[in-house]
Amino acid sequence: MSADQARRVRIWDPALRFFHWALAALVVTTWILGKFGPNVMTLHFWFGYAIIALLLFRLVWGLVGPRSARFASFVRGPAAVLGYVRHLGRREPSHWPGHNPLGALSVIAMLAALAWQVGTGLISDPDDFINVGPLADKVGGETAGDAVGWHHWGATAILILVLLHVAVILFYRVWKNEDLVGPMLTGWKWVRKR
Amino acid sequence: MRLATSAAICLFAALPVIATAQSAEDALEARHGYMKMLAINMGKLSAMAKGEMAYDEAAASTAAANIVALTQYDVPSLFIEGTAEGEAEGSEALPAIWENPDDFATKFTELADAAAGSPEAVMGGQDNIGPALQKLGGTCKACHDDYRKKD
Repeated sequence: MSADQARRVRIWDPALRFFHWALAALVVTTWILGKFGPNVMTLHFWFGYAIIALLLFRLVWGLVGPRSARFASFVRGPAAVLGYVRHLGRREPSHWPGHNPLGALSVIAMLAALAWQVGTGLISDPDDFINVGPLADKVGGETAGDAVGWHHWGATAILILVLLHVAVILFYRVWKNEDLVGPMLTGWKWVRKR
Repeated sequence: MRLATSAAICLFAALPVIATAQSAEDALEARHGYMKMLAINMGKLSAMAKGEMAYDEAAASTAAANIVALTQYDVPSLFIEGTAEGEAEGSEALPAIWENPDDFATKFTELADAAAGSPEAVMGGQDNIGPALQKLGGTCKACHDDYRKKD
Protein backbone atom coordinates (compact mmCIF):
# COMPACT_ATOMS: atom_id res chain seq x y z
CA MET A 1 0.00 0.00 0.00
CA SER A 2 2.76 2.50 -0.74
CA ALA A 3 2.10 5.79 -2.43
CA ASP A 4 4.77 5.23 -5.08
CA GLN A 5 2.41 2.89 -6.89
CA ALA A 6 0.04 5.79 -7.43
CA ARG A 7 -0.01 7.56 -10.79
CA ARG A 8 -1.66 10.70 -12.01
CA VAL A 9 -4.75 9.92 -14.08
CA ARG A 10 -7.40 12.05 -15.77
CA ILE A 11 -10.33 10.87 -13.65
CA TRP A 12 -13.01 13.54 -14.13
CA ASP A 13 -14.05 14.54 -17.64
CA PRO A 14 -14.69 18.24 -18.48
CA ALA A 15 -18.48 17.84 -18.69
CA LEU A 16 -18.63 16.24 -15.27
CA ARG A 17 -16.46 18.98 -13.77
CA PHE A 18 -18.63 21.66 -15.31
CA PHE A 19 -21.68 19.84 -13.96
CA HIS A 20 -20.18 19.71 -10.47
CA TRP A 21 -19.25 23.37 -10.16
CA ALA A 22 -22.36 24.66 -11.92
CA LEU A 23 -24.50 22.54 -9.60
CA ALA A 24 -22.59 23.72 -6.52
CA ALA A 25 -22.99 27.38 -7.48
CA LEU A 26 -26.66 27.01 -8.43
CA VAL A 27 -27.62 24.99 -5.35
CA VAL A 28 -25.98 27.47 -2.97
CA THR A 29 -27.47 30.49 -4.76
CA THR A 30 -30.93 28.97 -5.08
CA TRP A 31 -30.92 27.87 -1.45
CA ILE A 32 -29.96 31.35 -0.23
CA LEU A 33 -32.53 32.97 -2.52
CA GLY A 34 -35.16 30.60 -1.16
CA LYS A 35 -34.44 31.43 2.46
CA PHE A 36 -33.40 35.07 2.28
CA GLY A 37 -34.20 36.24 -1.24
CA PRO A 38 -36.95 38.55 -2.44
CA ASN A 39 -40.57 37.59 -1.84
CA VAL A 40 -41.08 37.51 -5.60
CA MET A 41 -39.04 34.37 -6.26
CA THR A 42 -38.50 34.65 -10.02
CA LEU A 43 -34.73 33.99 -9.80
CA HIS A 44 -35.21 31.07 -7.41
CA PHE A 45 -37.54 29.53 -10.00
CA TRP A 46 -35.16 30.03 -12.96
CA PHE A 47 -32.17 28.67 -11.07
CA GLY A 48 -34.34 25.72 -10.04
CA TYR A 49 -35.08 24.99 -13.71
CA ALA A 50 -31.34 25.16 -14.45
CA ILE A 51 -30.77 22.62 -11.67
CA ILE A 52 -33.33 20.31 -13.31
CA ALA A 53 -31.32 20.51 -16.55
CA LEU A 54 -28.09 19.67 -14.68
CA LEU A 55 -29.74 16.74 -12.89
CA LEU A 56 -31.01 15.36 -16.19
CA PHE A 57 -27.51 15.67 -17.64
CA ARG A 58 -26.07 13.79 -14.64
CA LEU A 59 -28.63 11.03 -15.03
CA VAL A 60 -27.70 10.57 -18.69
CA TRP A 61 -23.98 10.89 -17.93
CA GLY A 62 -24.35 8.29 -15.18
CA LEU A 63 -25.57 5.84 -17.80
CA VAL A 64 -23.50 6.63 -20.88
CA GLY A 65 -20.66 8.87 -19.63
CA PRO A 66 -17.01 7.95 -19.02
CA ARG A 67 -16.31 5.13 -16.60
CA SER A 68 -15.78 7.19 -13.44
CA ALA A 69 -19.08 9.03 -14.06
CA ARG A 70 -21.18 5.89 -14.54
CA PHE A 71 -23.44 4.81 -11.65
CA ALA A 72 -22.78 1.17 -12.46
CA SER A 73 -19.05 1.68 -11.89
CA PHE A 74 -19.20 3.41 -8.51
CA VAL A 75 -22.42 2.40 -6.73
CA ARG A 76 -21.45 -0.65 -4.72
CA GLY A 77 -23.00 -3.00 -2.17
CA PRO A 78 -22.80 -2.89 1.66
CA ALA A 79 -19.71 -5.15 1.71
CA ALA A 80 -17.69 -2.75 -0.44
CA VAL A 81 -18.88 0.22 1.64
CA LEU A 82 -17.90 -1.50 4.90
CA GLY A 83 -14.59 -2.51 3.40
CA TYR A 84 -13.86 1.11 2.53
CA VAL A 85 -15.05 2.45 5.89
CA ARG A 86 -12.70 0.05 7.69
CA HIS A 87 -9.70 1.89 6.22
CA LEU A 88 -11.21 5.37 6.30
CA GLY A 89 -9.42 6.43 9.50
CA ARG A 90 -5.93 5.75 8.10
CA ARG A 91 -3.76 8.82 7.82
CA GLU A 92 -2.94 8.26 4.17
CA PRO A 93 -4.54 9.24 0.87
CA SER A 94 -7.14 6.83 -0.49
CA HIS A 95 -5.84 7.21 -4.07
CA TRP A 96 -9.26 5.99 -5.06
CA PRO A 97 -9.95 6.27 -8.80
CA GLY A 98 -13.28 8.12 -8.74
CA HIS A 99 -16.16 7.97 -6.28
CA ASN A 100 -15.31 5.53 -3.49
CA PRO A 101 -18.06 3.17 -2.24
CA LEU A 102 -18.92 5.41 0.73
CA GLY A 103 -18.77 8.61 -1.33
CA ALA A 104 -21.10 6.94 -3.82
CA LEU A 105 -23.79 6.90 -1.14
CA SER A 106 -23.26 10.63 -0.67
CA VAL A 107 -23.55 11.21 -4.44
CA ILE A 108 -26.81 9.26 -4.57
CA ALA A 109 -28.15 11.00 -1.45
CA MET A 110 -27.38 14.45 -2.88
CA LEU A 111 -28.88 13.67 -6.29
CA ALA A 112 -31.96 12.16 -4.63
CA ALA A 113 -32.37 15.15 -2.30
CA LEU A 114 -32.09 17.55 -5.24
CA ALA A 115 -34.56 15.51 -7.30
CA TRP A 116 -36.94 15.63 -4.34
CA GLN A 117 -36.37 19.36 -4.05
CA VAL A 118 -37.08 20.22 -7.69
CA GLY A 119 -40.05 17.84 -7.67
CA THR A 120 -41.68 19.39 -4.61
CA GLY A 121 -40.80 22.87 -5.86
CA LEU A 122 -42.56 22.33 -9.18
CA ILE A 123 -45.81 21.31 -7.45
CA SER A 124 -45.72 23.80 -4.53
CA ASP A 125 -48.52 26.29 -4.00
CA PRO A 126 -47.67 28.58 -1.06
CA ASP A 127 -50.99 30.44 -1.31
CA ASP A 128 -49.40 33.73 -2.32
CA PHE A 129 -50.56 33.72 -5.97
CA ILE A 130 -47.10 34.62 -7.26
CA ASN A 131 -44.66 31.87 -6.26
CA VAL A 132 -46.77 28.97 -7.47
CA GLY A 133 -44.95 26.00 -8.99
CA PRO A 134 -45.77 25.49 -12.68
CA LEU A 135 -47.18 22.00 -12.01
CA ALA A 136 -49.09 22.89 -8.80
CA ASP A 137 -52.47 22.85 -10.55
CA LYS A 138 -51.81 19.29 -11.76
CA VAL A 139 -51.67 17.73 -8.29
CA GLY A 140 -54.63 19.28 -6.46
CA GLY A 141 -54.75 21.98 -3.82
CA GLU A 142 -54.05 19.84 -0.77
CA THR A 143 -50.95 18.16 -2.19
CA ALA A 144 -49.73 21.49 -3.58
CA GLY A 145 -50.06 23.05 -0.12
CA ASP A 146 -48.32 20.12 1.61
CA ALA A 147 -45.53 20.26 -0.99
CA VAL A 148 -44.47 23.62 0.44
CA GLY A 149 -43.71 21.86 3.74
CA TRP A 150 -41.92 19.02 1.92
CA HIS A 151 -39.87 21.62 0.04
CA HIS A 152 -38.77 23.13 3.36
CA TRP A 153 -37.68 19.72 4.73
CA GLY A 154 -35.78 19.21 1.48
CA ALA A 155 -33.92 22.47 2.00
CA THR A 156 -32.81 21.29 5.45
CA ALA A 157 -31.72 17.91 4.06
CA ILE A 158 -29.69 19.63 1.32
CA LEU A 159 -28.03 21.93 3.85
CA ILE A 160 -27.00 18.91 5.95
CA LEU A 161 -25.70 16.98 2.93
CA VAL A 162 -23.72 19.95 1.60
CA LEU A 163 -22.14 20.63 5.01
CA LEU A 164 -21.29 16.93 5.31
CA HIS A 165 -19.77 17.00 1.80
CA VAL A 166 -17.54 19.97 2.67
CA ALA A 167 -16.62 18.50 6.07
CA VAL A 168 -15.55 15.21 4.49
CA ILE A 169 -13.42 17.01 1.89
CA LEU A 170 -11.71 18.87 4.74
CA PHE A 171 -11.25 15.56 6.55
CA TYR A 172 -9.49 14.10 3.50
CA ARG A 173 -7.37 17.25 3.16
CA VAL A 174 -6.33 17.52 6.80
CA TRP A 175 -6.45 13.97 8.13
CA LYS A 176 -5.69 11.88 5.05
CA ASN A 177 -3.53 14.47 3.26
CA GLU A 178 -5.50 14.00 0.04
CA ASP A 179 -6.68 16.88 -2.13
CA LEU A 180 -10.10 16.20 -3.64
CA VAL A 181 -10.80 19.75 -4.81
CA GLY A 182 -7.87 19.96 -7.24
CA PRO A 183 -8.93 16.87 -9.19
CA MET A 184 -12.46 18.24 -9.52
CA LEU A 185 -10.93 21.42 -11.00
CA THR A 186 -8.29 19.89 -13.28
CA GLY A 187 -9.62 16.39 -13.77
CA TRP A 188 -6.25 14.86 -12.75
CA LYS A 189 -5.99 12.75 -9.60
CA TRP A 190 -3.34 10.53 -8.02
CA VAL A 191 -4.84 7.07 -8.08
CA ARG A 192 -3.72 3.55 -7.48
CA LYS A 193 -4.82 0.50 -9.40
CA ARG A 194 -7.04 -1.89 -7.48
CA MET B 1 -80.70 24.67 48.52
CA ARG B 2 -76.99 24.04 48.86
CA LEU B 3 -77.20 21.80 45.80
CA ALA B 4 -79.00 24.48 43.85
CA THR B 5 -76.37 27.02 44.86
CA SER B 6 -73.54 24.70 43.85
CA ALA B 7 -75.24 24.02 40.55
CA ALA B 8 -75.70 27.72 39.96
CA ILE B 9 -72.06 28.42 40.78
CA CYS B 10 -70.92 25.67 38.46
CA LEU B 11 -73.13 26.96 35.71
CA PHE B 12 -71.87 30.52 36.00
CA ALA B 13 -68.30 29.36 36.40
CA ALA B 14 -68.67 27.41 33.19
CA LEU B 15 -70.25 30.26 31.24
CA PRO B 16 -67.08 32.18 30.40
CA VAL B 17 -65.51 28.94 29.21
CA ILE B 18 -68.43 28.34 26.89
CA ALA B 19 -68.35 31.94 25.72
CA THR B 20 -64.59 31.78 25.04
CA ALA B 21 -64.90 28.49 23.20
CA GLN B 22 -67.61 30.00 21.08
CA SER B 23 -65.62 33.10 20.24
CA ALA B 24 -62.46 31.08 19.44
CA GLU B 25 -64.52 29.18 16.92
CA ASP B 26 -65.94 32.44 15.58
CA ALA B 27 -62.49 34.00 15.33
CA LEU B 28 -61.14 31.01 13.43
CA GLU B 29 -64.09 30.98 11.07
CA ALA B 30 -63.76 34.71 10.49
CA ARG B 31 -60.01 34.38 9.79
CA HIS B 32 -60.57 31.61 7.29
CA GLY B 33 -63.35 33.60 5.65
CA TYR B 34 -61.10 36.64 5.51
CA MET B 35 -58.31 34.66 3.85
CA LYS B 36 -60.82 33.12 1.45
CA MET B 37 -62.04 36.58 0.43
CA LEU B 38 -58.45 37.66 -0.17
CA ALA B 39 -57.83 34.47 -2.14
CA ILE B 40 -60.88 34.93 -4.37
CA ASN B 41 -59.78 38.40 -5.39
CA MET B 42 -56.09 37.48 -5.67
CA GLY B 43 -57.17 34.47 -7.73
CA LYS B 44 -59.00 36.71 -10.20
CA LEU B 45 -56.00 38.99 -10.61
CA SER B 46 -53.68 36.00 -10.94
CA ALA B 47 -55.90 34.31 -13.54
CA MET B 48 -56.00 37.52 -15.60
CA ALA B 49 -52.25 38.03 -15.26
CA LYS B 50 -51.64 34.49 -16.53
CA GLY B 51 -54.21 34.89 -19.31
CA GLU B 52 -56.40 32.09 -17.94
CA MET B 53 -59.17 34.67 -17.62
CA ALA B 54 -59.82 37.38 -20.22
CA TYR B 55 -58.60 40.76 -19.04
CA ASP B 56 -61.47 42.90 -17.84
CA GLU B 57 -60.38 46.29 -16.58
CA ALA B 58 -63.43 46.85 -14.38
CA ALA B 59 -63.29 43.35 -12.88
CA ALA B 60 -59.56 43.67 -12.18
CA SER B 61 -60.02 47.04 -10.54
CA THR B 62 -62.91 45.73 -8.46
CA ALA B 63 -60.87 42.75 -7.30
CA ALA B 64 -58.07 45.08 -6.23
CA ALA B 65 -60.56 47.44 -4.56
CA ASN B 66 -61.98 44.47 -2.64
CA ILE B 67 -58.50 43.72 -1.37
CA VAL B 68 -58.06 47.37 -0.36
CA ALA B 69 -61.36 47.16 1.53
CA LEU B 70 -60.22 43.97 3.28
CA THR B 71 -57.02 45.66 4.44
CA GLN B 72 -59.14 48.13 6.40
CA TYR B 73 -60.20 45.32 8.73
CA ASP B 74 -58.35 44.88 12.02
CA VAL B 75 -57.26 41.30 11.33
CA PRO B 76 -54.88 40.79 14.29
CA SER B 77 -57.88 41.17 16.64
CA LEU B 78 -59.14 37.84 15.27
CA PHE B 79 -56.00 36.10 16.47
CA ILE B 80 -57.21 35.66 20.03
CA GLU B 81 -55.46 33.53 22.66
CA GLY B 82 -55.98 29.80 22.35
CA THR B 83 -56.40 29.73 18.58
CA ALA B 84 -52.91 28.67 17.52
CA GLU B 85 -52.40 25.45 15.57
CA GLY B 86 -52.70 22.54 17.96
CA GLU B 87 -54.99 24.56 20.21
CA ALA B 88 -57.89 25.04 17.83
CA GLU B 89 -59.17 22.56 15.26
CA GLY B 90 -58.18 23.55 11.74
CA SER B 91 -55.87 26.38 12.79
CA GLU B 92 -52.61 26.89 10.90
CA ALA B 93 -51.59 29.92 12.97
CA LEU B 94 -48.13 29.48 14.46
CA PRO B 95 -47.55 30.37 18.15
CA ALA B 96 -44.98 32.91 16.87
CA ILE B 97 -47.96 35.22 16.19
CA TRP B 98 -48.52 35.61 19.92
CA GLU B 99 -44.82 35.94 20.61
CA ASN B 100 -44.37 38.79 18.10
CA PRO B 101 -47.71 40.58 17.98
CA ASP B 102 -46.20 43.85 16.75
CA ASP B 103 -44.34 42.24 13.85
CA PHE B 104 -47.43 40.20 13.01
CA ALA B 105 -49.51 43.39 12.85
CA THR B 106 -46.85 44.96 10.62
CA LYS B 107 -47.42 42.18 8.07
CA PHE B 108 -50.99 43.39 7.62
CA THR B 109 -49.82 46.99 7.37
CA GLU B 110 -47.51 45.86 4.57
CA LEU B 111 -50.43 44.21 2.82
CA ALA B 112 -52.39 47.46 3.15
CA ASP B 113 -49.44 49.41 1.73
CA ALA B 114 -49.13 46.99 -1.19
CA ALA B 115 -52.86 47.21 -1.87
CA ALA B 116 -52.96 51.00 -1.79
CA GLY B 117 -53.34 52.30 -5.33
CA SER B 118 -53.73 48.81 -6.81
CA PRO B 119 -57.31 49.41 -8.12
CA GLU B 120 -55.82 52.09 -10.41
CA ALA B 121 -52.56 50.22 -11.06
CA VAL B 122 -54.31 47.19 -12.57
CA MET B 123 -56.22 49.31 -15.08
CA GLY B 124 -55.07 50.03 -18.62
CA GLY B 125 -54.06 46.57 -19.76
CA GLN B 126 -53.31 42.99 -18.77
CA ASP B 127 -49.59 43.74 -18.41
CA ASN B 128 -50.32 46.10 -15.53
CA ILE B 129 -51.69 43.32 -13.31
CA GLY B 130 -48.39 41.46 -12.86
CA PRO B 131 -46.46 44.12 -10.95
CA ALA B 132 -49.42 44.91 -8.66
CA LEU B 133 -50.03 41.20 -8.05
CA GLN B 134 -46.36 40.65 -7.21
CA LYS B 135 -46.44 43.44 -4.65
CA LEU B 136 -49.54 41.94 -3.03
CA GLY B 137 -48.40 38.31 -3.23
CA GLY B 138 -45.01 39.21 -1.76
CA THR B 139 -46.72 40.36 1.42
CA CYS B 140 -48.77 37.13 1.55
CA LYS B 141 -45.53 35.14 1.40
CA ALA B 142 -43.72 37.29 3.95
CA CYS B 143 -46.42 36.60 6.53
CA HIS B 144 -46.98 32.92 5.65
CA ASP B 145 -43.22 32.28 5.93
CA ASP B 146 -43.11 33.37 9.55
CA TYR B 147 -46.57 32.81 10.89
CA ARG B 148 -48.31 30.01 9.03
CA LYS B 149 -47.79 26.31 9.65
CA LYS B 150 -45.86 24.57 6.86
CA ASP B 151 -47.30 21.06 7.43
